[in-house]
Amino acid sequence: MMLSSILVLLITNPGAVLSEMVSASTSALSLCIELCAVYAVWLGIIELVDASGLGQKLAKLLRPLIKKIFRVENPETQRLIALNISANMLGLGNAATPMGIKSMQALDDGSGKANFAMIMLIVINATSIQLLPTTVIGLRTSAGSNNPADIILPTLIVTFCTTILGITLVCLVDKIIKIIKKRQKSRKI
Amino acid sequence: MSEYILPIIFIFLFIYCLFKRINTYDYFVKGAKGAIKLVVEIFPFIASILIAVALLRVSGITDFLASLLSPIFNALGIPTELVELVLLRPFTGSGSYGILEGIFSTYGADSYISRCACVIMGCSETIFYVATIYISQTKVKKLLYAIPVALVCSLIGTILACLFCKIM
Repeated sequence: MMLSSILVLLITNPGAVLSEMVSASTSALSLCIELCAVYAVWLGIIELVDASGLGQKLAKLLRPLIKKIFRVENPETQRLIALNISANMLGLGNAATPMGIKSMQALDDGSGKANFAMIMLIVINATSIQLLPTTVIGLRTSAGSNNPADIILPTLIVTFCTTILGITLVCLVDKIIKIIKKRQKSRKI
Repeated sequence: MSEYILPIIFIFLFIYCLFKRINTYDYFVKGAKGAIKLVVEIFPFIASILIAVALLRVSGITDFLASLLSPIFNALGIPTELVELVLLRPFTGSGSYGILEGIFSTYGADSYISRCACVIMGCSETIFYVATIYISQTKVKKLLYAIPVALVCSLIGTILACLFCKIM
């Protein structure tokens, strides 16, 4: 990706390559500072949710669903995934990220390849059901919309469809891969 | 209405902590402490992704792709005005919010294009960014089919978004 872009720029605008890279890196740094501030707030809040026992209650509520979808038995991992998903549902992708990282660490089996639950987590994060797209509504309000909340219903329906689709697709691909592997094994024998 | 929801959740949380006799300040500080460590760890990944995206944009490859792909997108019911958003959304969160604001100011916040864009923002995610950051603290090097499946879902979500906004 980087190589092809630089090749094109070599012909059109070679002077821009380094300056663009540095300025992108600068904006990455300022984004990180912003993220640090946002994370400080949300990690503080989430620590409270956790310490007060609300986290466990939430996880208990979502546990049967998570157990079925992710095929994970460890209660600690289930709790982390529950927190990640509930933050995503409220349109708070930034608050979901720290929990997502922790869930991934808990799911890691050290094989170097993503396992079923990890793939499921990424896909569900990508499609995530949005009960309340907070950020988008905020932006729309400041743009002078007459009814900024009228996107809630279509967003809910569409994200519901894509989440179901995502879960189905991951299960389907997983099954197909297992069948192929079985066939290869039986051929070797 | 929606601006009340977060404060209400926070108030509920603090009262609940008070009720459970938990030292709110100590726990909040403990949680917030994790933010700096986390950001230091994810910076190299964010920087690499943003550099790649910036190069793609400056080299004109994004524009070229947008003009190349717009007939296909149109056939799927996605207006040409939204092609850039759909293409860049998987790579950059802050960048796509920038594009969204551009769409609001060009077409008006209540237009069909803007409403589509809002729903698209909801049903898609900065997949490459999320995937990179999520696995950055694990030993995983191969994501297998995670990204293709996520991209297919986002594309179908986008098509559905354009359809539903027309009806609703």
